[in-house]
Amino acid sequence: MKLYDQIFDVVKQFKKLFSPGPVTNADVSGSITAEIFLIVSLILATVLLRHVSVLLAGLVALILAIVLISNIPLIPKFKIEQEDSLEKMLFYAVVTLSIIVVFMYWGGTLV
Amino acid sequence: MNELIPLMVIVPLMAALIISAFSKFNKATKIFAFVVAICLPLIPILSNYGLHYFGGYAPILDNVTNVVYHPAITYSFTFLQQIFIAMIGLLTFLVIFIYLTKYREVSGPYLFLLFLGTAAVTAMLLTDDIFHMFVFFEILALAQVGIVAASSIDYSYEMALKYMILGSIGSPIMLLGIGFLLALTGSVNITDIVAAVHNGLVDASSPVFLTSLGLIFFGWLYASGLPPFHTIKSGIYSKAEPHGAALLQSFTVISMISIVLIMFRIYSSLPIFEVLIVFFSILAMILGVSLALTQTDFRRMIGFLAVGELGFIGLGIGLGTQYAITAGLFQALNEIIITALLFIGFGAIVDATNEVDTRKLGGLLAYHPKVSLMLLIAGLAMAGVPPLSGFQSKLMLVQASLNCGFPEISILAIMVSIATFVVFVKTFYVMFLRPKPQDLEVEGKDVPRAMIFAMGVLLLLVIVLGIFPDVVVNGISNFVGGIL
Repeated sequence: MKLYDQIFDVVKQFKKLFSPGPVTNADVSGSITAEIFLIVSLILATVLLRHVSVLLAGLVALILAIVLISNIPLIPKFKIEQEDSLEKMLFYAVVTLSIIVVFMYWGGTLV
Repeated sequence: MNELIPLMVIVPLMAALIISAFSKFNKATKIFAFVVAICLPLIPILSNYGLHYFGGYAPILDNVTNVVYHPAITYSFTFLQQIFIAMIGLLTFLVIFIYLTKYREVSGPYLFLLFLGTAAVTAMLLTDDIFHMFVFFEILALAQVGIVAASSIDYSYEMALKYMILGSIGSPIMLLGIGFLLALTGSVNITDIVAAVHNGLVDASSPVFLTSLGLIFFGWLYASGLPPFHTIKSGIYSKAEPHGAALLQSFTVISMISIVLIMFRIYSSLPIFEVLIVFFSILAMILGVSLALTQTDFRRMIGFLAVGELGFIGLGIGLGTQYAITAGLFQALNEIIITALLFIGFGAIVDATNEVDTRKLGGLLAYHPKVSLMLLIAGLAMAGVPPLSGFQSKLMLVQASLNCGFPEISILAIMVSIATFVVFVKTFYVMFLRPKPQDLEVEGKDVPRAMIFAMGVLLLLVIVLGIFPDVVVNGISNFVGGIL
């Protein structure tokens, strides 16, 4: 019942996503699709880790599934993070550069 | 006729300068711009394949080491360059045609920027010199900023400024990476660098070489609008004039493939390179489509979809086989055409309604049946519905990932296509099929014929490439076989 309430609450929270302005059925259904798509695709992407270790892939997929589902709705949070604020864009640019450095530092041994 | 190879860059570059200098002569400027725009797709079609050495400095053979050095800036023209340059030329022609027919008084600086951007991407495709590529990459970035800033849409200046600020991070980092490569190999000629890497003169596991990959890769993310630059890329598309956005997205696709092909030639021996490309491509696909699903501004929606489609291109390159790279490059060609068609078509709707919020639109099928039909087909093509061109390239990508042993990627690609389909069904319904809102005023004016013409030409290409993909796929496959 708690999960059902949580999912129902998601739809309510989508209202904030489209404010100011009216919220139409098409917008809400689009957002629910995006929500499901995001969760499924991220979990599916982690399955790729099986090429490194099957155990690692299983664990990460399981943990990610729990984290994502317990944090729904994700799309409003995602959308806030992906807005046109220069500060956020710069922040994520720096984060990405760090990720690439990490890839190079540890991943470089794969060569 | 290899003399035509440099003309592919020189003609639009000179046209840009001449138009900028003589823009006060409105009628002459219009005629001149139109004539040059017609020439742009013709030059690559008429030119023979081959190499062009600037200054006439032919390669030098070192008799001791038996290595060939390239002292000149070299342009290499093959089928791949021909098809993409011809497509960019055609698109530039269509965009300039729309612009010239839309405004009575044309802006010289705006035409200057359009031609400058075309010259820059053409040079990026042709060049075999990594520093030369960077110079034109910078010129392209400035042209893109100018095209956005020159549009009359609210907040376009702000968005252009943000793009420039982010560029001031991405570009120097890429230049630093190129500097590291120069330090390692003593050359900026890509063929020479590749030879040095493959002959073992450069240690592929050295920190400097790996760092150069990381830095150039980051610059590539900025150039191609992959995460974290997907927000700003979709933002600039939405703040440019629709025909300008059609050209901007093609600039992005061309700069993406030209830089990634250079990186592929240099770094393909490093498995981490392909992992990085696949990682960011998947991220772009997921973020692009999920954010497109929640947009109410349809220009922004196409912007995010365009970013998601870039992920497909990256995926093909990242998988690294001949078939996968061919699929990725074919997808790039399709994306240029389909996304341009969508931007121009939705631009026609903006013209007719002065509205970009899908919540305030409706019932437009009755007013603009031709545009709506063409937009529907374009949307289906982007979603990968047969027998359109998008279907062929996406099917190839799904097959390629299956062949490489990554069924998860195939499933993900199909899911992204379905989500793209949902975006179009939703948008098409709210804009064209549902009853027109009472407060929506649809201006009685017709969609400009130039826009209908441009959409018709692009639609024809979408259908032809869907039914006869081999027309380009075989040639691309031969090119890819040559670089592997």
